[in-house]
Amino acid sequence: MVDAGLVAELAAVLSPDRVRIGATELALYRRDASTIEGDAGVVCFPLTTEEVAAVVRIAHRRRVPFVARGSGTGLAGGATPLDGALVVVTTKMNRVLSVDVDERRAWVEPGVLNLDLSRHGAAYGLHFAPDPSSQQSCSIGGNVANNSGGPHCLAEGVTSMHVLAVEVVLPDGTVTMLGDPDGEWDGYDLRGAFVGSEGMFGIATKVCVRLTPNPPDVRTLLFDYTDVAAGAATVSAIIAAGIVPAALEMMDANCIQAVEAYVHAGFPLDAAAVLLVEVDGLPHGVAADTERIVEIGMAHGARTARVAQNDEERALIWKGRKTAFGAVARIKPNYYLHDTVVPRHRLVEVLTQVYEIAARHELIVLNVFHAGDGNLHPLLVFDKREPGVMERVHAAGEEIVRASVAAGGVLSGEHGIGLEKRDFMPLMFAPADLDAQARLREAFDPDGLANPAKVLPSGSRCGDISHAPEGAWI
Amino acid sequence: MSERPIRLGLVDDELATCVSCGLCLPHCPTFRATGEEAASPRGRIAAMRAVQWEGAPVDDGFVEFMSSCVQCRGCEPACPSGVPFGRLMEGTRRALVDAGRTVPWWQRLGYRALGHHRLVLAGSRLAALGQRVGLMPARLGLPPLPLRVPRLRATGTAAWLFTGCVMDAWQRDVHASVLRVAAAAGVGMALPGAGGDCCGALHVHAGLHDDARRLAERVMRSMPGTAPVVVDSAGCGAALKDYGHVVGTPEAAAFAARVLDVHEWLVDLMDRLPVPSATMVRPSVVVQDPCHLRHVQRAHAAVRTVLAPYARLLELDDDGLCCGAGGAYSALQPELAGDIRERKLAAIARARSAAPDAVVVSANPGCSVHLAATGLTVRHPVQIIAEGLDG
Amino acid sequence: MDLTGFADAVGLDGPVTIAGLAGRGGPVPGVRCVAAPAGIGTFLPEEMTVSCGAGTPVAELQAALAERGQSVALPDGGTVGGALAVGHAGLLRLGHGPVRDALLQCHTVLADGSTVMAGGTTVKNVSGFDLCRLFVGAQGTLGFFGTVLLRTRPEPAARRWFRSDEPATAVRRRLFRPSAVLWNGAATIVCLEGHPADVAEQAAGAGLVEVEGPPPVPAGARRPLASDDPALVGLPAGSYLVELGVGVVHLADAAALAAPRIADPGVVALHGRLKRLFDPDGRLNPGRAPAGAEPVAIGSVHP
Repeated sequence: MVDAGLVAELAAVLSPDRVRIGATELALYRRDASTIEGDAGVVCFPLTTEEVAAVVRIAHRRRVPFVARGSGTGLAGGATPLDGALVVVTTKMNRVLSVDVDERRAWVEPGVLNLDLSRHGAAYGLHFAPDPSSQQSCSIGGNVANNSGGPHCLAEGVTSMHVLAVEVVLPDGTVTMLGDPDGEWDGYDLRGAFVGSEGMFGIATKVCVRLTPNPPDVRTLLFDYTDVAAGAATVSAIIAAGIVPAALEMMDANCIQAVEAYVHAGFPLDAAAVLLVEVDGLPHGVAADTERIVEIGMAHGARTARVAQNDEERALIWKGRKTAFGAVARIKPNYYLHDTVVPRHRLVEVLTQVYEIAARHELIVLNVFHAGDGNLHPLLVFDKREPGVMERVHAAGEEIVRASVAAGGVLSGEHGIGLEKRDFMPLMFAPADLDAQARLREAFDPDGLANPAKVLPSGSRCGDISHAPEGAWI
Repeated sequence: MSERPIRLGLVDDELATCVSCGLCLPHCPTFRATGEEAASPRGRIAAMRAVQWEGAPVDDGFVEFMSSCVQCRGCEPACPSGVPFGRLMEGTRRALVDAGRTVPWWQRLGYRALGHHRLVLAGSRLAALGQRVGLMPARLGLPPLPLRVPRLRATGTAAWLFTGCVMDAWQRDVHASVLRVAAAAGVGMALPGAGGDCCGALHVHAGLHDDARRLAERVMRSMPGTAPVVVDSAGCGAALKDYGHVVGTPEAAAFAARVLDVHEWLVDLMDRLPVPSATMVRPSVVVQDPCHLRHVQRAHAAVRTVLAPYARLLELDDDGLCCGAGGAYSALQPELAGDIRERKLAAIARARSAAPDAVVVSANPGCSVHLAATGLTVRHPVQIIAEGLDG
Repeated sequence: MDLTGFADAVGLDGPVTIAGLAGRGGPVPGVRCVAAPAGIGTFLPEEMTVSCGAGTPVAELQAALAERGQSVALPDGGTVGGALAVGHAGLLRLGHGPVRDALLQCHTVLADGSTVMAGGTTVKNVSGFDLCRLFVGAQGTLGFFGTVLLRTRPEPAARRWFRSDEPATAVRRRLFRPSAVLWNGAATIVCLEGHPADVAEQAAGAGLVEVEGPPPVPAGARRPLASDDPALVGLPAGSYLVELGVGVVHLADAAALAAPRIADPGVVALHGRLKRLFDPDGRLNPGRAPAGAEPVAIGSVHP
């Protein structure tokens, strides 16, 4: 059922061709890259901050919930519209507005793709450090909403550390600037609160990002092990030795096989795990760290240490890592990807539990993860056309989350909470903690119109009586 | 407009392969131009699924989203799950044609005409004349067409040179260059017999499957035997290589196995070509990969191998994103095709910033014509090689 | 570390302020004063994390970390809680990052007496909204830090200070990720860290001359200001110190440059709503809240 008045008002401030209500098109915006489906009432495509503000003001006046959406590569249902919400798509706002080479920062619109920004910076020897596996497709707006990570966040930190300022449209349509491009300001860190707020504090319309100088030297190493625990022990030993590599990534046997079939990177098919280590920086430091890391790896039972000989080999190894999620379709057509973090010293213990849980639910599990951060990404692969499989997938997923939190870990390392983990929040947070988070949300969005019913379970705010629809598990 | 259920008839397992990860998005020219899910491979697959699996009606939106696909297949190499997107799109287009939802009768006449080579040559000549006297509307987006086409003569029997329809009418000089380079390597080439003109590629893209199969059978008859079939048009080459699937017989599969892109074929002849002199001034060329060479045939590396001794190669930084030509696409979707071309032109300008006199090389007539229509000089790689041989 | 006693001390009514070592302005005068618990909890070098009470002196914490070759990116002096509440980094901010990036998890006592846990135990965590960053730099006006979990970093093999007579921007361009680039109107002062050979090569390549250590920091005022701000042009050399790339200027004379006023209506409104939701009666560190967040004066209309 289309709200004709809303459509007419939107068409007046945008243009009719950028307001969509066709059934086939609306259905494409039911979900992001997760499996959780909702339904979109209207989809619109603003081009400027002013247009976003006008759209949000209309939504605010009419009390219509709205959901901002970038590339739709989120994995937690964060961009899934519920109850026929208005979807505000920022993909057409895709310009790099300016680059300040000396200050190493750039102003970009939210629809700029992560990798495009780094490519743009390449002309100046700069890049945007957060590099989620979806970096070729995901947008900076989405990175801001999810406080995205990526393999290189081990050394460089997540998105929040690379966002200096954000121009946002608050949920009442006010346009405001949070943070300061120069890096320091008086007052509360509203910028810090906004980054990672999963679209619930407003819509980012311009982002001032910090750019990182490209390292003069990079070394990528690949260790392989006959035992996952040996790989994990290597990771802890490297960190304990005072080395923070640019990235420390691990893949288990199932994952190696799926990926190798796609990229042919020469991953050893009989290995129980491979550990990818990247070191970057100035040449002497890189050489010394590489040498030390090879020693540590071999001392912890690595069969071989392969050092990429050139950029092509390096790119191929990374391609294997970054396309792992998609490559699983070669095993089964659907996957359910989890994203929990555990303290590094408990990695092996939790991983063992993950294998047990999957086996108990008769599911195939692949593990590909940011070992340096303790960020696990167990992938349950299945064919959803198989009767009853979804129940098993969700049961297994919940057990994995519980095991991670029980080991002193957290619910999500980089994908966010969205709808997927909303109801797991009480596993990690007490009622008072959730109430404080709900207050923060209320300060930004007193009317609860921006991406409602995500992140916080209903009843988080003391006296909360708002309706929180269930995300339909498909 | 009727919205009765249409069976797309797609293979369920192929349709199920997509995991909606979105890694295809930046490799899709229409998504790049619009930022819209409906203009992306992931969105189009979701729409196909809704029709095939949920019985969703085929509304005007659905037809539009399927028609706006360039069928460049840039999404295929980008897809870690190996979704056979080209096949899904061809199947969907075929179902839409069968249901009378796309390709009106007058367009169908146009496609049919491609199979009548004299008509194509005469039409091209007429258009060329029209251009000279200012009668051809500029909005057709055609660069100057040749008034005369050189006569081609077979030089031997070691390999067939497939000549094509539009390619032969507009760029027969490229065929002449291929014959010239082959001769320099001591290889004689035969020309196809009757019916060896239209390959049916555009018909496959449009969903005109029966026409495509009829043309494919004609083409196969025109080049019998076991000699390699060499193709200098990327779109035709991709089509000929897919005959096994289009016609569906063992003979067609055997024919397809004989097909080589001219650059793939030349790689093995390289050592028989005269070595360019050290003093030769090598021209700078920007290599523009036709989608059906890079994404479908995956033969773009061969272009660089054979071109490198004769030219200084400049690469584009756009990951082989489509230029928007797409066979008949630039005529059917001129606005989107123009938007897509803008990105390509910007990439070309970046590549040429180091060498402003660089010409663009492209191994497909559709791309060359689409890009040349903006005033760019676009050559075929083999022409550069032929000139290099001449010193 | 049990925070019950601390929460009881903060109580439920009346203005309250928090004291550390008075290194950063000290508690609000004339207001009932509490102190956060002190002491180092768990230091896990292989996790690169350490927990401690907010009342722990920074020097004590750094000394404990140094035994395992690590440190935290907090400025010298005062307590951990004070450093976090004020949120001003030390001179190595360009290389080590701002204070707000050092805090992983905190247990904070709010004005309503509740103790709230925010953040997580791991370096990477996006579970829920980022209250940690909200509390850093809030001057204790939204809550008082009780215990915190901090991210540690390995100490570099070498840390050396240099100077150059060339302009700071030109010097910075020649260096790969210096830890500090400072400009005092006459000279550029640089800190380089890393492998000793890399540090030496970088310094030689940029024509730097080694100096003993960091320069004295003018103590008059610290202002958020871009290094190329025209307001700096008229100031005499040596009367200020600019931190390049992080937007900070230290002044010898606070009156030389006025503090910027927060004027963005959206920001002011957000400050106000946050304060009302976290501390409706303005109990915590009265007078220290940013623009818009001080309680509305009696007689004006409460929206």
